[in-house]
Amino acid sequence: MMPIVQISNLDKYFGRLHVLKNVSVDVAPREVVCIIGRSGSGKSTLLRCINFLEEPSFGTIEVDGIKVAAGEKGKGHRQLVHDVRLKTGMVFQEFNLFPHMSVLENVMEGPVTVKGMPKAQAIELAEENLDSVGLLFKKDEYPNRLSGGQKQRVAIARALSMEPKVMLFDEPTSALDPELIGEVLNVMKKVAKEGMTMLVVTHEMGFAREVADRVLVMAEGEIIEDEKPGMLFSQPKDARTKALIDRYRTGER
Amino acid sequence: MTDSTTARVPKPPLSQADLLYEAQQRRDRRFRTNVSLSWGIMLLVLLYLFSGQNFLGIKTIQLDTEFMRKNVGFIVGGLGQTLLVSFLSIILATILALLAALGRLSTIPPLYALSTFYVSLIRGTPLYLQIFFFFLALPQVGIILTGLFAGVLALGLNYGAYMSEIFRAGLSSVGKGQREAAIALGMNPRQTMQRVVLPQALRFAIPPIGNDFIAMTKDSALVSATGFLHEVMWRATRVGRAQFNNLEALIIAAAIYWIMTIILSYVQGIIEARLARGDR
Repeated sequence: MMPIVQISNLDKYFGRLHVLKNVSVDVAPREVVCIIGRSGSGKSTLLRCINFLEEPSFGTIEVDGIKVAAGEKGKGHRQLVHDVRLKTGMVFQEFNLFPHMSVLENVMEGPVTVKGMPKAQAIELAEENLDSVGLLFKKDEYPNRLSGGQKQRVAIARALSMEPKVMLFDEPTSALDPELIGEVLNVMKKVAKEGMTMLVVTHEMGFAREVADRVLVMAEGEIIEDEKPGMLFSQPKDARTKALIDRYRTGER
Repeated sequence: MTDSTTARVPKPPLSQADLLYEAQQRRDRRFRTNVSLSWGIMLLVLLYLFSGQNFLGIKTIQLDTEFMRKNVGFIVGGLGQTLLVSFLSIILATILALLAALGRLSTIPPLYALSTFYVSLIRGTPLYLQIFFFFLALPQVGIILTGLFAGVLALGLNYGAYMSEIFRAGLSSVGKGQREAAIALGMNPRQTMQRVVLPQALRFAIPPIGNDFIAMTKDSALVSATGFLHEVMWRATRVGRAQFNNLEALIIAAAIYWIMTIILSYVQGIIEARLARGDR
């Protein structure tokens, strides 16, 4: 099958720091790919390069047929980046809900402002998505009245309301109290089951093992392992992978 | 008749927490009462100092109450002008401050320079000088502005420079994650600013803008020095000088400014409380 996400020979420098080193990854439609690695391994940067929240230094990103080369400038490039962003939805570690908008307005904002969708239609869509994350009853609340888990579920609904082809999750449960992680992971499982292509940077090994089709292990800006979770967790090839898995196993919840 | 044993439910005894809470409430109430009481006494003493009474050998100041009665209406009549010039000036200042703050965050060199140039020039010269510049210096080169227009221009430009810091703080109070969330949804820079950053920055800036408005109602008295705007201060000095009753006239003006400030501060407090309610 044609890959829906194609990352080719990607390099990223922060100043003199070489954080991504010639990274190439293909993701097939409906695939769930978890990216694990120690902090500073480049996993979040890789994810953020896909929708150009970080501008890669070299290489190309292709999402659903839209190919963007790094390092270019000008109107054409900006248009391509915009198109890629419309194909991708992103969920952040810190939720980043808009505090001055109600839950419903948060979820409507993208379709109305970016796509110019009529309000009535956007409300319908937003309510549908809020319902699917189980938070329709909170639609008139403001984000400050929600728990962390609820905020993240609204953030997922907000990203879904743009009807993206690919969902990017950047450590979606790392800022949550342990007892709130489950509800977010359950929503993510549901999204996966509905056939969404997902890239998930996470520390949740249980989730990776259960839901992922593939697990990428990153270290020092490179992908050191790309394996099905069953294989990876039972027979890690790289010593660094083994160390990472052992560390989580001992500290597993 | 109902059975007395079931009808009379005894009040549950107060817990330790209730007792402590009540004691705290009593202390707070007592503090507030005593503060009000002290305020009252100070006000009475102040009034007494100007009563003309002679008590225990302390001579107090005798005011010309006849003059005050006759002229209070005239001086209060300047309140409209005072509020009008302040209101128009705060609007101009807010617009300039916002533009200056955006310029300060701009990556385009001339815009950044324009913003810092304006702020530096205005903050580097006295407000009093600026006011005279618009009223007295500009006519020399043939630019004659009406009193109101010149006053608003001077006060607006001056306050705008100072208030740009408020907006800069407001804009930087909006976290990076907010912009990223907007960008990830596909918003362009203008939409990100309009829909996500500015609404949050403005909410942050409203209380300090209110403070500056209150300060401005008093600084508007400076434009009286030019004689072209007949607001409270101008009226007070005019009748005071003409009849050698400066003391009485200025006391009336002071009372007007003070009462006005108290009222505006009260309104400001209500607005702030309402804004705080919707806070994150």
